[in-house]
Amino acid sequence: MTAPQEIPPEDDAFLAAEYALGLSEGEDLANARFKLANDRQFAIKVAAWQESFARLTDDIAPVKPPRKIKKKLLKDLFPKQQVPLLERLWVWKGISFAAIGLLAYLAIPMLRPAPPEVQVPILAAQLKGQAGPLELLAIVEAGSNEVGLRRVAGAAPKGRVLELWAILPEQPPLSLGVLPQAEVMRIALPDVLSGQLGQVTLAITDEPIGGAPGGSPTGEIRALGALEEI
Amino acid sequence: MDRREIENLIARVALKDRAAFDMLYDQVSAKLFGVCLRVLSKRAAAEDAMQDTFVKIWNNADRYQSNGLSPMTWLITIARNTSIDRLRARKSGHQDIDTPGLELSAPGPSPEQAAVAGSEAKRLIGCLDALEPDRALAVRGAYLDGQSYADLADRFNVPLNTMRTWLRRGLIALRECMSQ
Repeated sequence: MTAPQEIPPEDDAFLAAEYALGLSEGEDLANARFKLANDRQFAIKVAAWQESFARLTDDIAPVKPPRKIKKKLLKDLFPKQQVPLLERLWVWKGISFAAIGLLAYLAIPMLRPAPPEVQVPILAAQLKGQAGPLELLAIVEAGSNEVGLRRVAGAAPKGRVLELWAILPEQPPLSLGVLPQAEVMRIALPDVLSGQLGQVTLAITDEPIGGAPGGSPTGEIRALGALEEI
Repeated sequence: MDRREIENLIARVALKDRAAFDMLYDQVSAKLFGVCLRVLSKRAAAEDAMQDTFVKIWNNADRYQSNGLSPMTWLITIARNTSIDRLRARKSGHQDIDTPGLELSAPGPSPEQAAVAGSEAKRLIGCLDALEPDRALAVRGAYLDGQSYADLADRFNVPLNTMRTWLRRGLIALRECMSQ
């Protein structure tokens, strides 16, 4: 993020209004986001403007949406019936010891045909999104050059593909390629990541077909999770 | 729509209560769909924006408490921002507008401050009508049509910097009028 500049207070009020209107661009937008997260007075100003501007919708008449939207929404958000129970166990909520054992047991076949005799640390991540139901599990053996992925829920938006990124602290995202449509997949890892896997955050963005042009993410982050040793 | 009721439903949705989500949808979807349609004009696009809006509501309801917005403002702002993101998505270099409260880690306004903001907000329309008409149109254009500075400068046929200055003066006048 761009380092925020010192801004006089009258500009601050304007920055807040501009942000609430969605007019902030570039450095102003970065500044506004930074201040919103760190400066309570600024957050209050933005909230006050949002409250005011929302009045512009007062005379917009309600329109009953077609029934199919609600149906589709509920199906997309709660796809439970479509995912077998065993795979729901992969959702590592409130991980218990037993769950870790089960997880390791279930995870190994994704990496190799037989359980390993040698104890190699295994790292895993649950990739989840804020903006949608996409959920994947990632698992990788320390020192390995590929990551195993299992899709639990969600899919790419229509006409888009999902692209996987590895993010190391203070570094730009590194593309690991476009994800195939399969439920279980293996993705090669570049050498530069080996030895640093514990610091890697995996992210999935939606991108135009063929993947992000120019090697940097352009779409929305659909799912995100940090690799951790299990 | 009763503010307390919507607030309660959002609080229950924050706890992943699906029945509450269902009820919230029934209560507010028509208003939010109206907003999406107003911004996007096209029905199919508005339907997609609505769907995204409710996914965001489901996923972020737990952050609602901290942002100090009235419940309908929070919901409407998500619908409006989501629609405008969709409207602008085809333009290159577009950065999404944030979901209100998502980016917030500084604590928002206290209930008293929120109440003041609420009573000031009621004056927006009156104060907007008191502005020079072009400036009021520019504010509406930015909020309801997602127009950027460049779009607005085009529309009013003035240089970009002039547009910025205009809008700045307009917003400062608006702020003063509303706080009186």
